[in-house]
Amino acid sequence: MPRVLRLLRRRLLASIPVLLIVVLGTFLLLNAAGGDAVDAYLSSIGGGSAELAQELRQRYGIEGGAVARFLIYASGLLQADLGWSVALNRPVLTAIAERLPNTLWLMGAATALSFTLGSALGVIAGRRPGGLCDRLLSGVSLALYSVPGFWLGLVLSILFAVRLRWFPVSGVETIASGKEGLARALDIAWHLTLPVTALGVIYLALFLRVMRAGMAEAWRQDWALGARARGLSEWRITLNHVARNALLPVVTMLGYQIAGMVGGSVVIESVFGIPGFGRLAQEAVSARDAPLLMGVILVSALVVIVTNLAVDLLYGVLDPRVEA
Amino acid sequence: MSQFTFGRRQVLGLWAALMASAAMPGIAWAAQGGRLLVASDSEPRSLNPAIVASNGVFFIASKVIEPLAEAAYDGLRPLLATGWEGSEDGLSVTFHLREGVSFHDGKPLTSADVAFSAMKVWRALQNIGREVLANLQDVETPDPLTAVFRFSKPMPLQLIENALPVISAVLPRHVYEVEDIAGVTALVGTGPFTFAEHRPGEYYLLKRNPSYWDAGKPLLDEIIYRVLPDRAAAASSLEAGEVQLACFSAVPLTDLARIAKVPGLEVVTKGYEALTYQLVVEINHRNEHLAKLPVRQAIAHAIDKEFVTRTIFQGYATAATGPVPATATQFYSPDVETYAFDPEAANRLLDEAGYARGADGTRFTLRLLPAPYFTETVQFGDYLRQALAAVGIDARIVANDSAAHQKAVYTDHDFDLAVAPPVFRGDPAISTTILVRSGISAGVGFSNQGGFVDEGLDQIIDEALVTLDPAARVALYNQFQRRVTEELPLINVADWTFTSVAATSLTNIANNPRWAVSGWADTELDG
Amino acid sequence: MLRRFLQRPEGVAGLVLLAALVLAALAAPLLFPGDPKAITGAPMIPPFSDAAFPLGTDRLGRDLLAGLFHGARTSLLVGGAAALVAITGGMLVGTAAGFAGGLIDEALMRVVDAFQIVPGFLLALAFVSVTGPTLTAVVIAIALAAWTAPARLARAEVLRLRRAEFVAAARTMGEHPWRIAFRDILPLALPPVLALAAVIVANAVLTESALSFLGLGDPNAVTWGGMIAEGRNQIRSAAYLSVIPGLALVTTVISIYLCADALAEAMSGSRR
Repeated sequence: MPRVLRLLRRRLLASIPVLLIVVLGTFLLLNAAGGDAVDAYLSSIGGGSAELAQELRQRYGIEGGAVARFLIYASGLLQADLGWSVALNRPVLTAIAERLPNTLWLMGAATALSFTLGSALGVIAGRRPGGLCDRLLSGVSLALYSVPGFWLGLVLSILFAVRLRWFPVSGVETIASGKEGLARALDIAWHLTLPVTALGVIYLALFLRVMRAGMAEAWRQDWALGARARGLSEWRITLNHVARNALLPVVTMLGYQIAGMVGGSVVIESVFGIPGFGRLAQEAVSARDAPLLMGVILVSALVVIVTNLAVDLLYGVLDPRVEA
Repeated sequence: MSQFTFGRRQVLGLWAALMASAAMPGIAWAAQGGRLLVASDSEPRSLNPAIVASNGVFFIASKVIEPLAEAAYDGLRPLLATGWEGSEDGLSVTFHLREGVSFHDGKPLTSADVAFSAMKVWRALQNIGREVLANLQDVETPDPLTAVFRFSKPMPLQLIENALPVISAVLPRHVYEVEDIAGVTALVGTGPFTFAEHRPGEYYLLKRNPSYWDAGKPLLDEIIYRVLPDRAAAASSLEAGEVQLACFSAVPLTDLARIAKVPGLEVVTKGYEALTYQLVVEINHRNEHLAKLPVRQAIAHAIDKEFVTRTIFQGYATAATGPVPATATQFYSPDVETYAFDPEAANRLLDEAGYARGADGTRFTLRLLPAPYFTETVQFGDYLRQALAAVGIDARIVANDSAAHQKAVYTDHDFDLAVAPPVFRGDPAISTTILVRSGISAGVGFSNQGGFVDEGLDQIIDEALVTLDPAARVALYNQFQRRVTEELPLINVADWTFTSVAATSLTNIANNPRWAVSGWADTELDG
Repeated sequence: MLRRFLQRPEGVAGLVLLAALVLAALAAPLLFPGDPKAITGAPMIPPFSDAAFPLGTDRLGRDLLAGLFHGARTSLLVGGAAALVAITGGMLVGTAAGFAGGLIDEALMRVVDAFQIVPGFLLALAFVSVTGPTLTAVVIAIALAAWTAPARLARAEVLRLRRAEFVAAARTMGEHPWRIAFRDILPLALPPVLALAAVIVANAVLTESALSFLGLGDPNAVTWGGMIAEGRNQIRSAAYLSVIPGLALVTTVISIYLCADALAEAMSGSRR
């Protein structure tokens, strides 16, 4: 797929100035914070003398000026070096590689669930706007869309993990179980069921609403009316023509929501004890770990860029009028 | 423990494990010694207990790297040192090491390891050792099992003994003798468990040390620390049977009454006596109002300590009388100035000090910075704001996270009142007198950064530091407590120790005053 | 358009709910004078058991009902203020970019891109952690995550209107371009942006609660999110402490969405 790769490269090149703004902004923000990495560290171990603090500042390389530190970081970045995490005592890239898969699994599964189920239910609701089915689905989706994600997570956790014990309370897999292959995959799926549901349901409601609106709109178009008049089978029109058109805004919405979903996973990870990206970002902020926070934000921005690219390609497949 | 009991317990444990695995398919213990799953709320940056003497590190690392002696309810229990004695002049302390102890890599423990640890690590790098061992000049090793510590100034043996469990984790010299000692991430010691694995964000795995010097121990096969930073998650995980032990009050106090009724779980309040935390109101004496003693007395009178212990701590704390907690029986003195809860007295003191209430009922405004480390310190901040409002002081809460709080209070002095949870570490000289001693440079956490100066108090502190006779030393610290409560450089509100929630199948727990941070060699899981 | 709005039962329901909430927020200081965080009773009184505290008290003995009313005040205030800041800021930037064109446009839009690809909640989380949790910081943090959509919309409208005849006329009459932009074009670009407002307000209320949940709420003010977060430690033994403010929160967000939906339908209807 050289065309896709070329496109990817063009997009990434175009986003370099944007990413630079992101990195600089993050750095400035954390630089304005009260207390530095050594303050954070010392408060976690119950304090230490002034000399110890001075030694640590030297050791961590944070005693220099802000400009110098940023230049060092930026020049490292040019060589694809994300720097060293003071808080975790290992390279930022390693820390990110440890956590990113968990978040990607969580988000990927939540997206798949909410997108497919949401648009399917949207098709059903949009077939007869104003009908009983539509009102019911719209009402439920509105209520779900209005519930804070962490709240839903708490309720699910208490109900299904603590009371009924159908699912584990926290974690991504059974600890040191020695499971491999399919058994391990099933184990992870079992652990992720509740968090994926909590995260996905909100977006499911969103996609349902967008799909429903798109369906209602598409049904009003002349060609849909015409097809109906020609006596084509209702379901064939729905799926082949109307739904396909209505899917376009849903796909657009998918691109928009990816950034939101990364944010939403922060609280879900906190509720379900998943060592993911959101928790890493929180740790980075509270430890005043600038390279780590910049790494996390940079990588999540890349995830957003790449997903948007994928969405654009998908859009091209769905809508032949658009040249990707 | 006799051979017979051990065998019988093993058999019983095996039976129980079989029963359990039949009753709960999917949960099978690794072997008869069992796998203990513990909730852990943090992942310390460095796990080396010889460099970082903190409870978060000890909680995990004290099972791997042992100190010379461990705290017991009746004094000290020898671990790597079997005995020690101080010289008459207080200038040296001789330690006799245990025979037949080897590190996890098989090399034997010798006095050279102790000398290296003391000089190159405890004294040079460790947050607490740097203070306590500041006068340590040299460690001599006349033979492989004897280490003689030489001090440049007289050093009270009582202080050394009280500090031993905290500062004396012994590292193998052959592993750590490199230029950057703090950079060594391997964790090698003599402890009952070896360090097996760390999955960041998920767990730490410790495994039984089969050649532990105390034959027959440890009784567990594995300890797994599950990383659960979320407090509610710890309680749920206990209930769901995903962990069997949560220490350091990981379960919210308000949830304890309910969780105590859950079958198979018990609430344990013992085992933290030597880890007493103190709820303290820190005062910035640079503030013109707070520099006046009557104002500080008024604040002390405005606080209902009974409400604090009963409501905020749910009864799991005691009202403090002074800077030494009652759990420190060696030093505690009840003969101090006390301040009863009496808002009227507080109002009278403030009126007399010339602070009339304004039109809105307010006399003056202060900034109140509650430390974010514990739910209780934050809640006490909320309470203190209300308590001070009742006597006409408007305390605006300024919330910060750990790093910003550390900087605002201890470096920039950008506060009027702060709520702090300092730890009493067995001896007032270790980390208590520093809270009120003058002349401490800015940037030192958990120290007197409020600008309080009292020469009389400084004299008592300095004299106690070089007083060798234990009784005379205790007498000085009794004076210290009296003086602090009279001058109120800070206000001690409550002393609290933590609680654990444990599965009832877990036995031999909470059997020493620093249990959570001790070696757990005799802890047993009955399936 | 108003008639169309009122013809929809959902819209009416939303409007009534929202009006009740605003009324509660306005009446809070009259019904419950004094500091709502004052300790007024015994701790942990369950709801419907004590006439003096109809909804009970929290673990320090603070009146839950008083907290609920004052919480409506802060929640709506935070939501409204955040939306106002986001929309004003976004529209200013969008209009400036659209009207100036060229390099300025390019630079401003790259900044918009930068804010758009960073997950908004991560940004808000980092911002509030760094500045310390005050209501102002929370409002700015939420606005930082929300201003890009109004900015893009305003820019698109401006680009469309720039070619309109009256703008050209104003130009030939020698009016200063910035004057044209902000006096003539901005007001016309307003309606579509305002339709966004409801979504931003609802999002702001939800974001505030999520921040409070993670311990980043203003400790001096009562917010529903803060109440949920405090009640969370007791969620198993005293669920009412987090359920009641949670319900208030959901009701608010639902009512805002209902109004927004009805408004959107009414607007699209009147356009047709």
